[in-house]
Amino acid sequence: MSILRYFILLAILIIIGCSTKTPSDAGSALRLNISGEPPTLDWTLATDGTSFHVITNLMDGLTAFDKDMNPIPAIAKKWDISNSGKRYTFYLRDDVFWTDGAPVTAYDFEYSWKRLLEPSTAAEYAYFLYDINNAQEYNSGKIKDFSLVGIKAMDKHILVVDLKKPTPYFPSITTFMVTFPLRKDVVERHGSRWTEPENIITNGPFILDKWKHEYKIELKPNKRYYANKPLLDKVEMFMIGEISTALTLYETGGLDIVGIPPIAISHYKDSPEYRNMPMLRNNYYGFNVAKPPFNNAKVRRAFSMAIDRSEFPKILKGGEVPATSWIPKGMLAYNPDVGLKYNPDEAKRLLREAGYPDSKNFPKVIVAFNTNPDNQMVAENLQAQWKRNLNISVELDNQEWKVYLKRLKTDAPAIFRLGWGADFPDPDNFMNLFTTESGNNNTKWSNKRYDKLIELAAIEMDAEKRIKLYNEAQRILCEIDAPIMPIFISAQNVLVKPYVKDYKLNPMDILYLKDVRIEK
Amino acid sequence: MIKYLMKRIAFSIPVLFIIALISFILMYTVPGGPFDKEKKLPPEIKANIEAKYHLDKPIYKQFAIYIYNLVLGDMGPSYKYLGRSVKDILKDTFPVSLQLGLLAFIIPLFIGIPLGIIAAVYRNTFIDKISMFSAVLGITIPHFVLGALLILIFAHSLKIFPPALWEGWSNMILPAITLGIGPTAYIARLTRASILEVLHKDFVKTAFAKGLPYSKIILKHVLKNALTPIISVMGPILAGLVAGSFVVEYIFSIPGMGRYFITAVTDRDYPLIMATTMVYAVLIVIANIVVDVLYKVVDPRVRLE
Repeated sequence: MSILRYFILLAILIIIGCSTKTPSDAGSALRLNISGEPPTLDWTLATDGTSFHVITNLMDGLTAFDKDMNPIPAIAKKWDISNSGKRYTFYLRDDVFWTDGAPVTAYDFEYSWKRLLEPSTAAEYAYFLYDINNAQEYNSGKIKDFSLVGIKAMDKHILVVDLKKPTPYFPSITTFMVTFPLRKDVVERHGSRWTEPENIITNGPFILDKWKHEYKIELKPNKRYYANKPLLDKVEMFMIGEISTALTLYETGGLDIVGIPPIAISHYKDSPEYRNMPMLRNNYYGFNVAKPPFNNAKVRRAFSMAIDRSEFPKILKGGEVPATSWIPKGMLAYNPDVGLKYNPDEAKRLLREAGYPDSKNFPKVIVAFNTNPDNQMVAENLQAQWKRNLNISVELDNQEWKVYLKRLKTDAPAIFRLGWGADFPDPDNFMNLFTTESGNNNTKWSNKRYDKLIELAAIEMDAEKRIKLYNEAQRILCEIDAPIMPIFISAQNVLVKPYVKDYKLNPMDILYLKDVRIEK
Repeated sequence: MIKYLMKRIAFSIPVLFIIALISFILMYTVPGGPFDKEKKLPPEIKANIEAKYHLDKPIYKQFAIYIYNLVLGDMGPSYKYLGRSVKDILKDTFPVSLQLGLLAFIIPLFIGIPLGIIAAVYRNTFIDKISMFSAVLGITIPHFVLGALLILIFAHSLKIFPPALWEGWSNMILPAITLGIGPTAYIARLTRASILEVLHKDFVKTAFAKGLPYSKIILKHVLKNALTPIISVMGPILAGLVAGSFVVEYIFSIPGMGRYFITAVTDRDYPLIMATTMVYAVLIVIANIVVDVLYKVVDPRVRLE
């Protein structure tokens, strides 16, 4: 009898429950999906896009990006660059306040940057400040005295930064979250829990109102914000990992903005709600040049020329941009003319010259990639193209991401897949990858001329001269030595409800919400 | 009884220790580390991180540190969710999985067992065949298919329930059904087999001969004696349900612990891998102890030693 009574009670609760809460009591609240729990909202420690989506709307730094991804003043109203190009003096606005009413000062930046470089903080992105005098030495523990590091708050409103070498992209670095200011008293008072809503103090357009871990973050407008006040009453950021679930919620009115998977793009392509934009993210297949026959540049070039890159957007259907060059579209020195174009006849000729006429006696080749459905499709397409155009059968091999990364580090396969997304929109962030000393160069390729060009371009303040230097470097990288085969630039694909106004995509995939409004 | 419980708890400590040791070794033998990423870290930064998390120490020292901290109630910091302790993560997520798991457990308990009884009573009839067909269907349909189907029918088309999220009771129905269907089907089949076995026993024949009502024989005499094998699987089933399910929590976007059984491994978040493994191990141990005690309740002939 008691069981029966329990059953009836449960049924009543369920019926009552069904008729009550739904997630969509909107008003001018914006509901979107950030796909997962942000690993941290401590901007000193954050390294990932999800955390960045939230932090970007909570905080402002010295500089910010305009719509073309050029750095413009934010908390710094202006900055001077010394004649040597090595000293930056940032002048801070005096009308910027933290959410508790205290003014944002140069000391908050000094503290934040010191914390980023402290070895005990163990911040992954400490190297963002390695262009600063003695920053790397302080971070590695070689020097203990922070006053020797080239970061100094001269007074409340002046921050002076001394660099090791002229760094034309430094104002881009100061847009990045790890360089945002920090309140020493807040961090010290609350320890690792300082980022929880009841403790956190910020200065950006929104305030962290609620953080239900693994589920949802809620933001509300910051009334003390120094620039234009946000136009939304509330932002709800859901952490929905399964894309089809997020899409169903969008369809049923539970979300206003959602990213869509390639498989769904053809369904929404003609919808006015569909938006697409190429990102500053390039994808490539690299050669391990220590492994024959790929120690021969002619073989590498032949493989690259045997790829018809226009096939990738057709199979992936995500608005990808085919690429033969390494610097992505939308960045200084992007040059689509660079790189090896599709030419199967020339590819065969190169193979013949390399000692493999009609691909005879060509050794067994393994093409490796990390397990992912898109990577699988691309790898199978490459396999078919190389068979068709070169008569070479390659073997595909995929592994789980971390296992794959370990393999690249210890014994990189003959051909392997990787990608790179911009940390800041400057070509140095991409081209630096394949220098001899770069930890991210898995090709084992080394070219002194290339290294020199990258070094010169990094300190060149004249944009035209930089472009020339990068053009030459890209020709070495993608045409002459060809240790890599760039294949396509990734794109973002989202659906936005018609009543969401002024939501603009950008190639860095930064989520700016302060100008967004709802008009129902 | 108390003495028995104390003994069982004492025996479970070395079991848990061995589970921890094996998990720890397995975890470290998998290639790739928590801080291996597409963008490789400079060596000095990697050294700072390894020093912070004691990853620069030999594995036996790391294990000793882990066990020492665990005894003190500290499960360590998450390597992925920086600034959050594993204890915080479990505190946030385990109650959600527990709530969903208990709700899902109602289904095998109140649908699986009656379904099994009906199938046994009406054995070899149309009702039996339909019941067992449903049971086989329930066992064979994977969560991700069933979950997607339920969303499509009840959320997308009929709009009776929300497709996902964790806002109220209405959000719990579809995931609870998805999670509970498999065990329900299994329990139904087990109940049927167990009841059929008991139905052939002499004491049941005697009960029939005495002219007792059929329902009374089934519910009082047969079911009670058929419960033992059902109870023995109910414990681990309950432990599995309350520990959470990666697929169900992922599909329905539920902030539970289940997702960490997979994501902690793919992230190589060592403390979180250990925590989820140990929580599950503890739940299984507890479930088994409870099952043993329940044997005694159901069958007074059982002696707890």
